[in-house]
Amino acid sequence: MSSDVKILDGNTFVVSDNAGDIDASLTDPTGLFSFDTRFLSKWVLTIDGRRLNPLSVDDLQYFEARFFLVPGTGTVYVDAKLSVIRQRAVGGGFHEELTILNHDDKAVDLDVRIEAGCDFADLFEVKDALKKSGDYFQRIDGDRLVLGYRRETFERETWISATAPATVDEHGLTFAVTIAPHGSWTTDLHVATGMDAPGQGVAHPKYERNAKKARPNMARSLDKWLDEAPRLECDWGSLKATYQRSLVDLAALRFSPVALPGHYLPAAGLPWFMTMFGRDSIFTSLQALPFSAELAATTLTALALWQGSQIDDFRDEDPGRILHEQRFGEMTAFEERPHSPYYGCADATPLYVVLLDEYERWTGDTRRVRVLEATARAALDWIDDYADLQGNGYISYKRRNEKTGLENQCWKDSWDSISYRDGRLPGFPRATCELQGYAYDAKMRGARLAREVWKDLAYAERLEKQAADLKRRFNRDFWVQDGEYFALALDADGGQVDALASNIGHLLWSGIVDKNNARKVVRRLMGTRLYSGWGVRTLAEGEGRYNPIGYHVGTIWPYDNSFIAWGLRRYGFKEEAARIAAGILDAAEFFEGRLPEAFGGYPRELTKYPVQYPTACSPQAWSTGAPLLLLRTMLGLEPIGDHLVVDPALPQGIGHLELLDIPGRWGHIDAFGRGTVDVARMGRGRKQLGVLPADAVRPTARPREHKH
Amino acid sequence: MADVTRQFFEGLAAKGHEPLLESFTGTLRFDLRDGERTEHWYVVLTRGDIVVAHDDGDAEAVMGTDLATFDAILSGEMNAMAALLRGVVTMHGRSILLLAFQRLFRGSVGAGDELRTAGYSRERS
Repeated sequence: MSSDVKILDGNTFVVSDNAGDIDASLTDPTGLFSFDTRFLSKWVLTIDGRRLNPLSVDDLQYFEARFFLVPGTGTVYVDAKLSVIRQRAVGGGFHEELTILNHDDKAVDLDVRIEAGCDFADLFEVKDALKKSGDYFQRIDGDRLVLGYRRETFERETWISATAPATVDEHGLTFAVTIAPHGSWTTDLHVATGMDAPGQGVAHPKYERNAKKARPNMARSLDKWLDEAPRLECDWGSLKATYQRSLVDLAALRFSPVALPGHYLPAAGLPWFMTMFGRDSIFTSLQALPFSAELAATTLTALALWQGSQIDDFRDEDPGRILHEQRFGEMTAFEERPHSPYYGCADATPLYVVLLDEYERWTGDTRRVRVLEATARAALDWIDDYADLQGNGYISYKRRNEKTGLENQCWKDSWDSISYRDGRLPGFPRATCELQGYAYDAKMRGARLAREVWKDLAYAERLEKQAADLKRRFNRDFWVQDGEYFALALDADGGQVDALASNIGHLLWSGIVDKNNARKVVRRLMGTRLYSGWGVRTLAEGEGRYNPIGYHVGTIWPYDNSFIAWGLRRYGFKEEAARIAAGILDAAEFFEGRLPEAFGGYPRELTKYPVQYPTACSPQAWSTGAPLLLLRTMLGLEPIGDHLVVDPALPQGIGHLELLDIPGRWGHIDAFGRGTVDVARMGRGRKQLGVLPADAVRPTARPREHKH
Repeated sequence: MADVTRQFFEGLAAKGHEPLLESFTGTLRFDLRDGERTEHWYVVLTRGDIVVAHDDGDAEAVMGTDLATFDAILSGEMNAMAALLRGVVTMHGRSILLLAFQRLFRGSVGAGDELRTAGYSRERS
């Protein structure tokens, strides 16, 4: 439904048609949603009983839209004597400024009506077409229409009111309007969402009312966000556009947890995944660290609040485990879904420690690292005490909630993502390879924090010893001899699940790969079976389940590639990292700067453009974060002590790249990278970016005064 | 049943400190309805130090429910967050204090301690 218009603020969002109307059946994904509940499923404007036709829609910002409408049949434009403007902004509930202009030289009398209704569907019900078991009610409180839903003690309400005089009935508001010749009429409509928990009471639209128009408070926070981000200068215009798009989208994806008002973490995707996901929030925070450390700080604090504290099979919870996903709708409330929160993921817990360490490297915020010491230790304990399901020293996963839990608890979470070369699927538990890399990295980074911040040397040494042992065993047990790469997983019998997949790139990022094996892994990553010319495929061409438009079995994920590029840099493969960056950023140009979750794995020379995956979620947080991480890898940014080391390796075709005012423990620093080829006149669809001769790389960095 | 709640708060008082709460300072009150009367527990939290009183002073964060529900949460039969979403439990004030505190409501739901794995790496280091 490409005509859908979406605006949002955190987990509150409105999806309407391009006239601004909402008229949803249970399974239609349109309406006003907040806290995973639909608060309006009907919102239809009529004048004299007739709906209006859109002339144009402006998506002004991600939180506001403006609809220009005229009466008429829609097929033929009749010289309208009226025009209608709906300007809608979301923030809390939503606010709509409705204006009608009379272009005639006679006065008009109009019957203006907003028809309103709500099914209070849970997001999960919209997805799975499930029926409700509670009761609906409507009431009129003075000038206000209240729509409500009640199931036992669970209650949700929508409050609708207007500034102009209206006749309110149980299904909407009617305005008897007279507009003078060439005059106009306007009213503000307020829609507030009410729930007993967790925000308490009714959330009123939050606005700054200035002279001209209502403006959600979040507008100011967007200005501040953009103002504080590092500035990018580059002779490649498309990269600048991609960077700007990423910053704005990331701002839209910010989500303030109930417990931490005013603080933001990255939600997973817009609009259906505007909630806390352990894995997505952590990966996106890592990608964004050189640009904004606040996302990481909030992610670390919020995930700690919800760290698992008990054994709970329904939620796949263990002590120390970091959550997978949190939801607030009716099905979660009545434990028909386990998302209160749900813990079934095997990677977020080690990744939590990775993020904590990386955060400290950038910010020097040792206070937070001390505050979160108990959390980090519990996370590290989880690796050994609860995740080693087979007693072989590797993290593996097998859900305990067999009804509504997740089968695959790694990032490739679709049913067929983990397979042998011949396409067979292994049983459970499954120990996917990247989990072992994360565990290794978590132990190494935990050791650094133990030594430098927690001042527990014995613990640091113990973690390092465990990590060294894990690395040694891993390089022996996962190495596929006849293919010279690491197996995708070990199965329940300890046998190798031997398909070649992009996961081996994450192993480089984690540092678990023996130096001797690194070059072989890189050869695989950059070989034609995995590398399409745009990026590394999730599964190699030629494997039994390979499908260039299979979700985790052949498509290319920009997020995946950004971490692979980081891994390549970690092992010194600068040129290869630059090629990955070039391919993904080239693809971004085709998507107007907004990389989708995934795109097709077809060879680049075959399609010439990246083929969009049919139902990819967009914008999605870690895809939005991918260009940010790729900027980091191209410039070779690495915090070392109180310094930021800059070691650029730009793809061929980028003449110069500057990232100015990079915030961190050093204050603010500018990073410069220089290539050899000026691409100012090379437009879209230019040749694939390649690699630079080593002598073309001139690292420069200079410290800068803090501007404030 | 009220024993579970009493044991929980008295246990906290006896322990006097909780490492998980070291970054928190504030006051919490638990209003637990039991038929006609309401039982109050008052917790003063100072960087993880915990003082418990059996009274109803002004608090920055207040959680309200009935005593049976609170018992069920403490014994792991009911999930606190789901109960909150259902409106069985209410929360007012600084919710972060209550969210931090609810980690202490550790019941044991499901299989129990046999789920602890071998601790392979730990044993070899």
